[in-house]
Amino acid sequence: MDYHEHHVKHRGEDAFGLVVLVVSVLLLWKSYTIAGFSALSSPGAFPMAASAVMVFSASLVVIGNARRRGRLSGEEILPRTVVLFTALVIAYAAALVPLGFLPASFLFLILAMKLLYRASWLRSLIIALASLALVYIVFRLVFQVVLPQGIVPEDEILAMFRHHPAPEAP
Amino acid sequence: MRRLLVGAAALTMVVAGPVVAQDFPAKDLQGIIQWGAGGSTDVVMRSVTPHAEEVLGADVVMQNKTGGVGAIATKFVYAQKADGYTLLMGAENPQLYKVMGLGDIDYSSFVPIDILARGVPILVAKNDAPYGTLKELIDYAQAHPGEVKVGSTGPGGLPSVVTAMLQSQTDLPMTAVPYDGDGPALTALMGGAIDVMPAVLGAALENIKAGRIKPLAVIETEANPVLPDVPPVTDTLPDIATYLPWGPFFGVFVKEGTPPEAVEKLTAAYRAGAESDDFKKLMDERGYKLMNLSGEEARAFLDRWQSVTSWLVYDAGIAKKSPEEFGIPKP
Amino acid sequence: MTEALSYFTTAWFDPWLLFLIAAGTFAGIYIGAIPGLSVTMAVSILISFTFSWDVNDALCLMVGIFMGGVYGGSRTAILLNIPGAPSAIATALDGYPLAQRGEAGEAIGISTVMSFFGGMVGIALLAIGAPIISDFALTFQPRDYMLLAILGILLVGSLSGESLAKGVVAGAFGMLIGTVGLDPLTAEERFTFGFTELWNGISFVAVMIGLFGVAEALGQLRQLELPAIKQKITRIVPSWASLRRYLPLSLQTSMIGVIIGALPGVGGDIAALMAYDYAKRTVRDPEVPFGKGAREGLVAPESANNAAVGGAFIPMLTLGIPGDAVTAIFIGALFIHGLNPGPMLMIEQPHMFWFMVGNLVLACVFMLIFGLTGIRIFTKIVEIPKGILIPLILLLSVVGAYAVNNSVTDVYWMLGFGVLGYFMKQYGYQVGPVILGVILARLIDENWRRAIISEQEHLGSFFANMFASPLSLVLFAAVVLTVLSQTPVLGWIRRLFRRA
Repeated sequence: MDYHEHHVKHRGEDAFGLVVLVVSVLLLWKSYTIAGFSALSSPGAFPMAASAVMVFSASLVVIGNARRRGRLSGEEILPRTVVLFTALVIAYAAALVPLGFLPASFLFLILAMKLLYRASWLRSLIIALASLALVYIVFRLVFQVVLPQGIVPEDEILAMFRHHPAPEAP
Repeated sequence: MRRLLVGAAALTMVVAGPVVAQDFPAKDLQGIIQWGAGGSTDVVMRSVTPHAEEVLGADVVMQNKTGGVGAIATKFVYAQKADGYTLLMGAENPQLYKVMGLGDIDYSSFVPIDILARGVPILVAKNDAPYGTLKELIDYAQAHPGEVKVGSTGPGGLPSVVTAMLQSQTDLPMTAVPYDGDGPALTALMGGAIDVMPAVLGAALENIKAGRIKPLAVIETEANPVLPDVPPVTDTLPDIATYLPWGPFFGVFVKEGTPPEAVEKLTAAYRAGAESDDFKKLMDERGYKLMNLSGEEARAFLDRWQSVTSWLVYDAGIAKKSPEEFGIPKP
Repeated sequence: MTEALSYFTTAWFDPWLLFLIAAGTFAGIYIGAIPGLSVTMAVSILISFTFSWDVNDALCLMVGIFMGGVYGGSRTAILLNIPGAPSAIATALDGYPLAQRGEAGEAIGISTVMSFFGGMVGIALLAIGAPIISDFALTFQPRDYMLLAILGILLVGSLSGESLAKGVVAGAFGMLIGTVGLDPLTAEERFTFGFTELWNGISFVAVMIGLFGVAEALGQLRQLELPAIKQKITRIVPSWASLRRYLPLSLQTSMIGVIIGALPGVGGDIAALMAYDYAKRTVRDPEVPFGKGAREGLVAPESANNAAVGGAFIPMLTLGIPGDAVTAIFIGALFIHGLNPGPMLMIEQPHMFWFMVGNLVLACVFMLIFGLTGIRIFTKIVEIPKGILIPLILLLSVVGAYAVNNSVTDVYWMLGFGVLGYFMKQYGYQVGPVILGVILARLIDENWRRAIISEQEHLGSFFANMFASPLSLVLFAAVVLTVLSQTPVLGWIRRLFRRA
């Protein structure tokens, strides 16, 4: 099923295939524990079928990888920028609740643009503020998605705008 | 930092106008709906809340948090502060979580603001079914065991409870085919994929009127004014009356420990909402019984519902745990 | 007939209603384009917002949003490889490669015109064949849904790229992701590992944004030095000759869209994917191979998903049964406004049907107008330097994943699938089959179980009844033929005959 003999192998491709196979075997076992072979209509029947298919095709991939003696590609799978940026994004997600959406996103945008583009402070600042304002208006104000608040008491500030100075506001 | 900013905000508010404790609500509220957009819980909540908002003088931002038969929303609201700013807009399901093994939280961990309305269950059949009454269905099912396919919405759902009620009175061997909700199950009934279905009257009403499905019995002690010709179930099985009146319900709740001022304000707001003509009309037309219960009355209703239903599903063998484990008394 | 015509044109001569439809369509395009904002969400917010309005006003606004939103998803799919809505997944497969070649303007032009065409076909079938089509849709039994979904999952063959085995791995993995959570039929826990957070399953939108948007953004980081792609804006409205060329395909895939859209519980996302598969099987000589920027790969899903809008209204207006998630909310809105959607609606309120049909036509026209204007500004998005664009894509992905369920957990899932998607792409696994598996898992799982429970667990009577039903037989034959065309089995048989 797997015909690309002439293809160049990527670094870690064999290992990735093995990991996929191991994961699929674990999923098959986990599917079996849902209801065993109790009934054709059991909640475990479909997961077992799907994971069995996964085990079978993952085995084909692993066998195909083993047969192929391709030249190893010199290409870097995980360049430094990707690792750094991914770490930054994870830090951003982790900061969403304690810091709140607005400060966390602001910091993320500034740092990410500095990391990737070396943009000037002023430019980063303008882009970050403008895009955040847009996102906030669309998601929080129009679509009423309550974003994590963190250290900025948005609700209280919004309520103030709404009820005190301008009672005719919607 | 946060406290500082709140302080600053509060200070400006003091300048702008006096803020005291009874000024609930000081900001917008959140309403967490247990079921999906377009479902009956959603429709009820979205139609009553605009009236309550007028009384409250604040917006209630409603969100659907579906999943886990409503358990996801219930747990979410329970995890929030008991300040009255997060409302749980739910149906009857949490009252069965304990016996169904879906967690330890039910409405006893919440304060009922208003039990708005109750649905009336009705037993309907596909048009070309060889039976036209409940009696004929029972005879047919006994003569052809397992052949009658009854729609279900999973263990603990209305169809499973009504089927359990019927089976507690007579031998009724049917095969339950599960669907995602009463909407899809009624569609399947019209397409002939299932033969009978206990549903809430409101969901089946229009199809009955159009003659696409036929009603066998209402699960009540008397006929319903919307369908006066459909006999009550007690005509055929009189002893079933011990479980009745029974039906799914909709209510608004806040977490236990919410300050009494907030509960009072919210109760007044939702009571006014439930008394509005729009809402009454909507409920009447859909065949729901308006309840508008709060305080002790609401609590008593919730307790009776839980005790009747928990024991019913337990005796029918679809519960995972005994109601006794949780101190739920026998009805 | 004249009465029908007057209901049909109610909104056409009323400036206020006309404005509401235009505003709705305009807003819908942007709602559809922004990942995490969905038409379902917008329409349910509108229910409380338009509570005190006249029902006609509310419906005009909602119809506009629906039509615009289904189309709008293609924008971000083409420009950023993030399908703004599930119905635009198939659009990303060839639309994004087109944008990468500097032809985003043309891609948007084709998708707009084809969406308009598909939308009109859907409305026409709604107007002339609604009662027949809805009765046909009702005859689908659980096993037919199952066969249909299996037919859909066989699309993995079209989406696998160079290795079928890797595509099947990805598809099966997607199906397993789709089963995570409390089993909707028995409330049994599946793959939850004891976490309550997993009861509701893994958010499909989070998976989609992660695998498409974030994985692509991370991949782009590898070529940060490459200059942004200059977009050549030569032609936006497709030429008459190319329209004529794509028209037959568009008509065929619109039919697929209407039928799938009319089936209760199956919507535009599946319609678009099936149409894409249909195009890939039937178009013999695309100018560019599928997956590399074939225009046919845009024509098919874009015609089908907008045709599915008209399709979804068929069971809703004739029987009060929602054709998809959005029409379910329309039903709720009609209830609140005191109308009783159901089989009686056509009899008691015949004006409602023609009023809606007229509104849909208007929304479709506005979609064409708004879709074809402002493309130049839109394509500029792709020309933003990557160092600025990628952080903005991530911001939008995070907000989008969060907004669906107001859940930070979904943000983590989105990132997790983003990283997974990055590795999958590096090692030659396509992400399309994963999404396909997630979309179809429930359909297959639940309907298989319903079907076999209905037969009291007898496989024999399951097959006997399947062969007794013409509809099931046709679907079964389609499944068998597709399998044969994708695997070497057919070749073996041919060789066997040649030898004999």
